Amino acid sequence: MAKEVPVLKAVPRDRIGSRYAKRLRTAGRLPAVVYGHGSVPMSVSLCQHETLLHLKKGEKVFTIDIEGQATETCLVKDLQFGFLGDNVIHVDLTRVNLDEFVNARIHLDFAGSPEGAKKTGTIVVHMTSEIVIRCKVRDMPDSIRVDVSTMGDVLTVGQIKLPAGIEAVTPGNTMLVQLQTIAEVAVAEAATGTGATAPEVLTAKKDDEAGKDAKAPAGDKKK
Amino acid sequence: MSGLMPKRVKFRKQQRGKLKGCATRGNYVAFGDYGLQTLEPHWLSARQIEAGRIAAQHFLRRQGKIYIRVFPDKPISKKPLETRMGKGKADVDYWAARIKPGTMLFEVAGVPEDLAKQALARIAYKMPVRCRFVGRRLAV
Repeated sequence: MAKEVPVLKAVPRDRIGSRYAKRLRTAGRLPAVVYGHGSVPMSVSLCQHETLLHLKKGEKVFTIDIEGQATETCLVKDLQFGFLGDNVIHVDLTRVNLDEFVNARIHLDFAGSPEGAKKTGTIVVHMTSEIVIRCKVRDMPDSIRVDVSTMGDVLTVGQIKLPAGIEAVTPGNTMLVQLQTIAEVAVAEAATGTGATAPEVLTAKKDDEAGKDAKAPAGDKKK
Repeated sequence: MSGLMPKRVKFRKQQRGKLKGCATRGNYVAFGDYGLQTLEPHWLSARQIEAGRIAAQHFLRRQGKIYIRVFPDKPISKKPLETRMGKGKADVDYWAARIKPGTMLFEVAGVPEDLAKQALARIAYKMPVRCRFVGRRLAV
């Protein structure tokens, strides 16, 4: 979490539904919902530009200043994406206390280059770039820096150093980074070029059955 | 017929079907760091997928890992030339993947952004549809 919790001004939404949400988006607003802590869920809209700037930085905790209502500390719970899968169209915010323990998905910043990756044909594959952690909202980092320069062939969740007050929920044996040796291109091409010319058909009739079927209609015609 | 195709199928031939709407699944970078996303619907043949893979692999040599996110599982039949209509559905000509706008076609991992961009551009030349280069989306 940044030293200061960013403040986002929110306006309550009187009318809900996809048509009104679409109009808000064209006006530069981002539809959102605030829920949790036993209070009534509230539909609000945020400034799209400002919210996306904070989200791209990796910030997840915001102070939502709702117009004409109380200020709430909220954690980003979910994002909805548009039809091409990358533009944020809706944000779910859940009410939290800064001293409350929460689970959150945090981005990993990989720094350095592993020694083993300097060999020809060896590449660094990031199996996942985020892990789930459990910590106080106050201690939540925007991202976790992971130094991969000293890693062996594999780096797992259990091998990374987490900041104080943070524990990993993702199992310790989950692979984060792996060094893979890429086979020669020619070998790969040969592997895909060979194989069956047609797939096996599970419902295909056997030769005997097919023969009977072929004869049956001929008999019908004679009658 | 060779290249990518299913190992076994329930039925030999399929009806054509429709390609309506946008992709709701497989529309984000899941395995690699960067991806090539289609902006148009199309039947992408196994040969086109293979051409894209070869183009990128020859460019990247042994530097990065390429993920193919689509698989040609739809048999497309075609009547031979100068054949009269009728006499049943024709034999399978090729296998195709149904792609809708937003489908991630290829992903690249283990290379810097500029190299990934060049590799995916080479794939895009081989594709019969407009494509765009994308990175990983915001995570929560």
